[in-house]
Amino acid sequence: MSRTGSRGVRRIGVAVLAAAALAVAGCSSGGGDQAPAGGGPVNGAGQTLRMWIMEGTNPDPKPYVDELSAAFEKQTGAKLEVEFLQWKTGHDKFTTAIAGGTTPDVAEVGTTWLSEFGTAGAFADLTQRVESAGLGDGLVKGLEEAGRIDGSLYGLPWYAGVRSVVYRKDVFAELGINPPTTWAEIVAAGQKIKAAKPDMLPFPIAGDNEFAVYPFVWAAGGDIATKNGDKWVAALDTPQARAGIQFYADLALKNGFSTPAAATWRETDLRDAFTKGQAAMIISGNWTPKALVEAAPELQGKIGAFSLPGENGGLAPAVLGGSLLSVFEGSKNQDLAWELVKLMGTGEFAEKWSTSSGYFPGTTALLQQAAQSTDPLVAPFAKQMVDAGRAVPVSPAFGQIQAKKTVATMMRSILTGEQTVEQATTAATAEMNTLFSSS
Amino acid sequence: MTTVANRSKAGRAGDAPPARPTRRRTRPGTGTSRPWLLLLPALVVMAGLLLWPMVQVVLLSLQNFGLRELVTGRTRWIGLDNYTALLSDPNLWQIVLPNTVVFAIVAVLATVVVGTLVALLLNRLGTVSRGLVTTAILVAWALPAVTGTYVWVFLFTPGDGIAVQALDAIGLLDATTANPFADRVSFYVIALLNVVHHGFPFVALTVLAGLMTIPNELNEAAVIDGAGAWRRFWSLTFPTLRPVFAVVTVLSTIWDFKVFTQIYLMPGGDGVNRSVLNLGTWSYVESFAQNKYGLGAAIAVLLTVVLLVITMGYLRLLFKEDEL
Amino acid sequence: MRAGSFGKGVGVAAVLLFTLFPVWLMISTALNGRANAGSRTFLPEEWTLANFAFVFGEGGFGRYLLNSLIVAMGTVLAGALLALLAAVAVARFRFRFRTSVLVMILIIQMVPIEALVIPLFIQAKSLQLLNTLIGLVVVYLAFSLPFAIWTMRGFVAAVPVELEEAAYLDGASWGRMFRSVLLPLVAPGLVATSVFSFITAWNEFIFALTFMSQETNYTAAVGLRGFFGQHATDWGAVMAASTIITVPVMIFFVIAQRRLTSGLVAGAVKG
Repeated sequence: MSRTGSRGVRRIGVAVLAAAALAVAGCSSGGGDQAPAGGGPVNGAGQTLRMWIMEGTNPDPKPYVDELSAAFEKQTGAKLEVEFLQWKTGHDKFTTAIAGGTTPDVAEVGTTWLSEFGTAGAFADLTQRVESAGLGDGLVKGLEEAGRIDGSLYGLPWYAGVRSVVYRKDVFAELGINPPTTWAEIVAAGQKIKAAKPDMLPFPIAGDNEFAVYPFVWAAGGDIATKNGDKWVAALDTPQARAGIQFYADLALKNGFSTPAAATWRETDLRDAFTKGQAAMIISGNWTPKALVEAAPELQGKIGAFSLPGENGGLAPAVLGGSLLSVFEGSKNQDLAWELVKLMGTGEFAEKWSTSSGYFPGTTALLQQAAQSTDPLVAPFAKQMVDAGRAVPVSPAFGQIQAKKTVATMMRSILTGEQTVEQATTAATAEMNTLFSSS
Repeated sequence: MTTVANRSKAGRAGDAPPARPTRRRTRPGTGTSRPWLLLLPALVVMAGLLLWPMVQVVLLSLQNFGLRELVTGRTRWIGLDNYTALLSDPNLWQIVLPNTVVFAIVAVLATVVVGTLVALLLNRLGTVSRGLVTTAILVAWALPAVTGTYVWVFLFTPGDGIAVQALDAIGLLDATTANPFADRVSFYVIALLNVVHHGFPFVALTVLAGLMTIPNELNEAAVIDGAGAWRRFWSLTFPTLRPVFAVVTVLSTIWDFKVFTQIYLMPGGDGVNRSVLNLGTWSYVESFAQNKYGLGAAIAVLLTVVLLVITMGYLRLLFKEDEL
Repeated sequence: MRAGSFGKGVGVAAVLLFTLFPVWLMISTALNGRANAGSRTFLPEEWTLANFAFVFGEGGFGRYLLNSLIVAMGTVLAGALLALLAAVAVARFRFRFRTSVLVMILIIQMVPIEALVIPLFIQAKSLQLLNTLIGLVVVYLAFSLPFAIWTMRGFVAAVPVELEEAAYLDGASWGRMFRSVLLPLVAPGLVATSVFSFITAWNEFIFALTFMSQETNYTAAVGLRGFFGQHATDWGAVMAASTIITVPVMIFFVIAQRRLTSGLVAGAVKG
């Protein structure tokens, strides 16, 4: 979502930490400062604001929404109508609403979507408002960059997340396996589990789960796409990228750690398999352990997490994902909408959201605390995010590529055996290049 | 379906309707304007919401029409570029068109055959069992496409779906590994079950209605002549009801060619699994997920043209102009 | 003869199984308290109405049903009126271009409405009808009209002209005759066409999905998708909501059965 060149895997991490350090000194005023951007207080009495939030980020968002609505009504007199969108249908709903001019006032926007919809003119320019509210310096860099188009800011960073591996501590302990630190160790661990627990999937590979593919591409030295001057060129067909994808697919194909049914699974199906006790390791986000235990209370204390390793040690770069809060250009109430964004993106409510959802917050001050956590279900993720967080291409076309499910289609055809890695990556690269060049 | 029967029953029913112009004119205030006044509201609605959009979809297909054009209202004419892109896309020829055409042919055949068999069965049943079966058929018909699709998806859910388990039990597949929705053929077999389940009641009831107009004496005479069921069907029933069959076939073709909901709501049918796209879902995905409304419109035009060519073909076989 | 009745029995059983099994499975899963815990049985393992309570409570399905009902009733009422008027025109009058109008209605039925989503979406946008129930009513009205006119035409034509003559002889005006002679006699036809219009509107998915950007405006067919959750499919809720959508239509169908089949017979057999 952020850094365009993204050559330096660690640059984001460094930037995050640097910004965080700066922020410790300067940026703790967020919550108390309610002065509206453009002068006098915004009176929203009798108005209703509509907002879209993505579902699933927060396992139980109701208390948060209730408190937020109450606080917002108290502050501005306006009512709040929140609707939850699912990630799998959300993109189409955004497109259709933007196309039809029926957007709400405020929405949570995924980092990979912002560029696509922002370029189409869907969002209001928040640069001025962010500056006058004094928020300009305290934002998590990776997210902030995802929110910028041609220098202007179209969203206020809200929360960030990263994917590592969630595993069954009890199974590992029983079989005497240590959390893998190289790819070979992942395979070895999987073999042991496969031999000892034939009815368990050691490492299921979901076909429709692109964010689990990229770490392997990156760790093998490949890239999704590279920027050549002004143009993006897809790179999934390079030998390095292919090697990473081959290893990833071979977890299912060669090693049999997965099931053919998983060829059409989504990320959520992985979690389903895990909570049903059918999976030993899954690639999963830092926000999921809590939800996993909630769905399967019997797993309490049996869940662990480890950072996804690089091929020969170190960490695999992982997609630094997250969301921003944007105001729609079509909103008739942009001042009021900005008040809401500010209320949610800073101070008390930002902290509440990140603690209740398990995500990392979007302001550096709050992120700093999380990065130092020693919680075994937080630390591996925090480490992966800060040390190895990496952005997917920031291009409007990439949102379209995601919507077109190019990578999901590629993985599905590899996992079903319809195509070899070479054929499938060639097709995917061609499709990505068509989309890159048409936008 | 009305017209069909015109042909078989022309003598009896055809004389009633149209036209007694002389008498009409004698009534005060009547003239040529009244039929138009009566027609006006319906014509306005159909012209505004069916004819004009048909024109528009063609115009759109000649433009590069995306989100920006939609928001700003500008137009970018690109001639036939969308069609060139469409027709030179191997996906069209290898995936989308076969999915659409082959599925439609198989589904129409299955629907009409099942529907006819059920109608023949109904025609031979006693009152009570006929009522029972008719009710069951109506229940199947009433099952909306959306909910019906979910039930079939539920049945074939990978892993624990009842149908998957049953097929596993008889050794046709391995429930732990099989995903019927991933494979193009099995995906469309499930869609076929769904579409036939939803579509055959109309055929059955319409054909039954036709069957009941065949005088029993004819059938009995044929039986006396020693004709078996098979021969009686082809030499008596089918020729008499040919128009009825023609109409149910045309309507089923129309419905099955453009089948959208049943495909879109199945796992992978919304564009994730590119190998199961048909013309309808492809057009929708290109426009509302990809914002390529121009290309989506071109696909929609293609769908319409294919459909119109086929139905016009049927119609020429079926009707003569004077029967309308 | 015995073989024949045996064959009939098998046939009846097969038809009943194929038609009713999916419906049965839907209802039994809706009543199954363990549906979300992976229970896949023909009879509920644990009878409960909890799925229905969830659907109406937390699921907010009542709102979607109300929307569907408003849209469907709007379509039925407007459709019946317009179709009847148009049917009288083409069945009772002979005028220039009558054949052309009929051919147009016939051809227009063949246009796949799925092909019109894009232009109608743009049209609805410019008329500010997106995200409104009225927008859907107007669109569904257009879709159901050609078929409704075509069916009504058969019913109107079937009313003996002599009855109309008699009304005129009694000094009735055309309007009077229409109300007190024609209308009651084509009532069964109105029922049949209304059923079709209702189903068109109640079951429609693609336009309802595309036009509505706000949850509170969803129809039941679209709202149903919400139970396919982010994490897992709530099959109990999906089936309970499906049952709620389906059962009224089924009852409607079965009650209207005689009318419906006689409507089909009339439509198919009478000119």
